[in-house]
Amino acid sequence: MDFKDFELCAHTNSINELLARYGVKFGIYKNNTFHERLFPFDAIPRIIEADEFSKLEKGLKQRVKALNLFIKDIYSDKKIVKDKVVPEDFIFASSGYMAECEGIMPSKGVYSHISGIDLVQGKNKEWYILEDNLRVPSGASYPMIARQLCRKSNPKTFEKYHLEDNRDYAKILRKTLDYVNVEGHTVILTPGRYNSAYFEHSYLSEQTGAHLVTGQDLFVEGDKLYYKDYNGEKARVGAVYRRISDDYLDPMNFVADSVIGVPHLFDVYRKGNVALLNAPGNGVADDKGIYYFVPKMIRYYLDEEPILQNAPTYLPFYEEDKKYVLEHFDDLVLKDVAEAGGYGVVFGSSMTKEEKEKFIEMLKKEPRRFIAQEVIDFLDIDIMDEGKVVPRKADLRAFVLTSDEPVVWKSGLTRFSRNPDSFIVNSSQGGGFKDTWVLLH
Amino acid sequence: MGIITLEKTDRLFWLGRYTERVYTTARLYARSYDHMIDALEDDYKNFCKAIDIPDIYGSKEVFLEKYPFDESDMNSLASNLQRAYDNAIELRYEIGSEVLAYIQLCVYDLQKAKESDAPMLEIQSLIDHIMAFWGTADDLIASEQIRDILKTGKRVERIDLYARLAFPVTDIRREVNRMKFRIAKSHINYKESVVKNIETLVETEPMDYYGIVREIENIL
Repeated sequence: MDFKDFELCAHTNSINELLARYGVKFGIYKNNTFHERLFPFDAIPRIIEADEFSKLEKGLKQRVKALNLFIKDIYSDKKIVKDKVVPEDFIFASSGYMAECEGIMPSKGVYSHISGIDLVQGKNKEWYILEDNLRVPSGASYPMIARQLCRKSNPKTFEKYHLEDNRDYAKILRKTLDYVNVEGHTVILTPGRYNSAYFEHSYLSEQTGAHLVTGQDLFVEGDKLYYKDYNGEKARVGAVYRRISDDYLDPMNFVADSVIGVPHLFDVYRKGNVALLNAPGNGVADDKGIYYFVPKMIRYYLDEEPILQNAPTYLPFYEEDKKYVLEHFDDLVLKDVAEAGGYGVVFGSSMTKEEKEKFIEMLKKEPRRFIAQEVIDFLDIDIMDEGKVVPRKADLRAFVLTSDEPVVWKSGLTRFSRNPDSFIVNSSQGGGFKDTWVLLH
Repeated sequence: MGIITLEKTDRLFWLGRYTERVYTTARLYARSYDHMIDALEDDYKNFCKAIDIPDIYGSKEVFLEKYPFDESDMNSLASNLQRAYDNAIELRYEIGSEVLAYIQLCVYDLQKAKESDAPMLEIQSLIDHIMAFWGTADDLIASEQIRDILKTGKRVERIDLYARLAFPVTDIRREVNRMKFRIAKSHINYKESVVKNIETLVETEPMDYYGIVREIENIL
């Protein structure tokens, strides 16, 4: 399907104006100052055919099922470690592992309710998983509102092409929240308007009908969580879709000087009196080091072959892999497992001699800290740049929402690099976004 | 809508106040801007006096440039609009995206006015968008309680401004009457004695404008 002459593209500016009208922004800190930025939207959609999406859907469900089983296992029996499928160095040394979560079974046994799985498509048309985001993945709201505004600007386009309607995300999310709610209100817990994803928090709150709250609105009494109104009346909260990282959730259990969390929230969760989405401790499974082991998890827990492939990855932790990384340094991309948002990613080929020597020294000293990946020859996708169609690198964040069964949202956030020489697509690094169309037939 | 927290109540009230402050002062500025075309150099001082802000400008030119747009001036339109926005942005769930969009549009209007060689045209758009904000708030916010809190803020601010600006007695009486019914419906904690004092003040001739300002600032 060729969209280069597509009517929708002619309306790119007006759609971006509508996005600005509705405050579709992200926050960024630069020189210690908070700035709100518009997230540039490109009207040429990424299009995924129904058959292709069906394969993606099966692979994503499989992956998220295995990841949920992995987290459950890690915080209980640790069979996968005992069976030496995953070395314990990658569990207990991971910054995402939380000893406090040992033995806790969350409501209905779900750990990763909202999973954001990043993929890229190679020039061979194969999809590769780049990263799993099982803590607080963001981004679904952008294509959801963009679709609404594109339909407004070009209704005929949507009469002509038969697509899956991605505006049902809020409905799927609400079902996911309700499924694990133990009793009471459902809330979205935000760190506040100076968080980079605040637009999304507030928009999802409006769309799902879940109250948007800050830590100050909630309190714990008698092992239960409550929400208080301006007259001091309280109402029980049964599910918290938290958009705060684990460390800041509860100052009594984690970072003591957190002012955005709720004192004793974790104690209520431990007793099974509230559901937290996603569950604390999930970071153990989306560590960039653990990523290497996900295909092994799929075989171990599900006794199935992985449907979707990882990008070819090497762990310098293993001598054999370290040797390969050092020999092929210039051909690889190296990632610091502790970093996110496009930070801590370096291409071997782009380093100076001094930088390379320094990096190799660090890698030898702390091999567990890095992974190395082959540079995938991305399939470029078209964007409009000052009226011209130009190719750019892009990824896809797919969303898998797990209640009784994992459900793959039939869309996703396509992020692209606006810089022709860059592979980094993150909004914080100047990238833009597109809608992702999944065709019905 | 269910429960509204203390913080959200406060934000709704102040969103109403700041939006009204921007609306009334923008209209007054538009009127004064026209008047100043023909007026003497220091006629802007009358405007400052009328809306009870210090004259930190020094000249008509500086005033015309700074009063609407200077974010570092706490009395400017830009600062008051920023405060309205700061409250609105945290109330998407309560007021909805459609209503919030009009505050966002006001922010863009003022930015455009700042860059324009005909700023009054954009300031007119800002005034229009504030009116649209109140129209959609009335039409689209389902919760009566939220509308009542928001409008209580608007009425309180209007009484404050009208009293400072020594508006006609009948206008102030009408606003006090509207505020009295609105605040009672809003279920927020307020001082009933203050409402009674204001009612007495507006019925007393000559009207004690500063007495009204003092009381209204003390209503919550």
